Amino acid sequence: MSTHAQANSSDASIAFAQTASVRASRDYTMPALIVGLVGTAIALLGFFTGMSAGDSRPLFSWLIGLSFWLSIAIGMLFMTLIFYIFHAKWPTVLRRQLEHGIGLFPLLAVLFVPLLIVPFIHDDPGILWKWMNAERYIVGGGSVATDPLFLHKSAYLNIPFFIGRVIFIFAVFAILGYVLRRLSFQMDKTGDMANFHRARIFSAIGIFFCAAAVTMAAIDWFKALEYHWFSTMYGVWFFAASMRAALSVTLILIVVLASRGVLKGLFNQAHRYDLACLMFAFTVFWAYISFSQYFLIYNANIPEVTFWYNIREKNFDGSLNSWWWISLSLIFLHFLVPFLYLLFYKNKVTAKRTLFIAAWILLFHLLDIYFNILPGKLPLENPAELGYVVRQFSITFYDIAALAGIGGLCIWSYLRSMKRVAPLPIRDPNISASLAHHE
Amino acid sequence: MAKQFGLLARFKDTPDLFHAAEKVRDAGYRKWDTFAPLPIHGLPAAQGLGRSRVPVFTLIGGFCGFWIGLLMVWYMNLYDYPLLVGGMPFFSPIFPFPIAYELTILLAAFGTLIGMFVMNTLPQHYHPLFNSEQFLATSSDQFMIAIESSDPQFNTEATRLFLEEIGGTDIQVIEE
Repeated sequence: MSTHAQANSSDASIAFAQTASVRASRDYTMPALIVGLVGTAIALLGFFTGMSAGDSRPLFSWLIGLSFWLSIAIGMLFMTLIFYIFHAKWPTVLRRQLEHGIGLFPLLAVLFVPLLIVPFIHDDPGILWKWMNAERYIVGGGSVATDPLFLHKSAYLNIPFFIGRVIFIFAVFAILGYVLRRLSFQMDKTGDMANFHRARIFSAIGIFFCAAAVTMAAIDWFKALEYHWFSTMYGVWFFAASMRAALSVTLILIVVLASRGVLKGLFNQAHRYDLACLMFAFTVFWAYISFSQYFLIYNANIPEVTFWYNIREKNFDGSLNSWWWISLSLIFLHFLVPFLYLLFYKNKVTAKRTLFIAAWILLFHLLDIYFNILPGKLPLENPAELGYVVRQFSITFYDIAALAGIGGLCIWSYLRSMKRVAPLPIRDPNISASLAHHE
Repeated sequence: MAKQFGLLARFKDTPDLFHAAEKVRDAGYRKWDTFAPLPIHGLPAAQGLGRSRVPVFTLIGGFCGFWIGLLMVWYMNLYDYPLLVGGMPFFSPIFPFPIAYELTILLAAFGTLIGMFVMNTLPQHYHPLFNSEQFLATSSDQFMIAIESSDPQFNTEATRLFLEEIGGTDIQVIEE
């Protein structure tokens, strides 16, 4: 009897999923795929032509584009884990959207491969990550191989270990994403509570691996660009930034789906309020981490670490450079404006106002990614002269191609995942509590 | 005879109280309140109350805390007792930031606490409603509405009839 009823409602859920996807106003799967393929093709063209010309800027474009979309997926993975661990009931209504997001890791891992093969096919393996080329000349004299700071870090910064870590990082993300998706989709079909319990246990264990993977990713891919630098809270910065990006994307997705898509009428004021409160909390957390990092380095005042902020303020001759303005806009526009804006209740519950601030945060999150990746010390043409050049802020054609291309592929994969399952985890034990959520 | 405070009426259960509150609100009364032994979701809206104004106090407290913290360090380090530490400037907005930040939180919390007292008009050592034996039962199992005589619409007879009409029982006159 009960199995019969379950089979019936499982059919119903599939039918629901199908009608829901049919009901979605327009199908953007193909346009997303086309934008994705064209964008990545252009960005990769730039990547390889730049590489043969010895120009690293298109490589940075690829890293920026990839990091932006990766950070969103990482934030979504963390949200899923945290919601499971805390047995949070209200976010059940938005969990399916997170589950589509955490299915992106295999795709993102494939898109990381171009960066991984650079050291093997290029004359200068250190074109992007300087430490990969032991003969590379460094600012201040000598080469990487004779650099005491490199020698002390070489147990960590070496190519075999680097590749091992890349595999570990993507394996953790992809496995966590795969298992959590599978358990949740299985729950839809069978309604077996064991799936839910397994997901909770898996999340509690997985979050440790996830934290380790995010820290390694931030250290290896961003911090090691200027490998002289030290900062123990850099991994936490990337976590905070990822959470802000993911919360903004989730809010945009849900508000759009609830106003004209498959979640029509299911996302109420209390859901918006709670999601916006989380956005507020992570705005403060991001500022707290970013400031603490600056504060410790400022107070200790050691040249090995202050240079990282120096090049983000001034050129070698002491004149302010383009990063000075980016730094200030991060403080005032990425922190202060969202902070003051989200203090007000109306701004947290009105759908249009939440959309505005989510888009705002996402835009400045991208700027934060630029700020963390792009600046670097470039040696002068004449090594005998004292000084360096700072790689300045710029938005290039390849940046846009990489962002749009990788984004297109991610959206394509996301939409494909959306078509496969119901728009809500309908058999989840907390779904009715979540739908009835109120302030 | 002592001055009259208002009328107190008893209601059967939560839905009764909720719907009666909506009717009192719609009748245009302003000085009245509901009493229940448990928090009831949505009752403030049924009473026609807006959101709490305590956040305003929190904001003012936080704002004051931030600037007090910053100005305190500015005065101490630049004028009162200038101390050269590690070649840093005597004053910069960077290093007093933790102090400003902590004081923001502290005074925001104080502001919230003060705001709660002010908006609830606490402490209040005497309230006429406590003269009623019947009223004391609201802290265990009774639901009640009291309409005050100081309400411009209040009229002892008309209001008594109104309370009966919306389902109130055991209507009592409460004296100051």
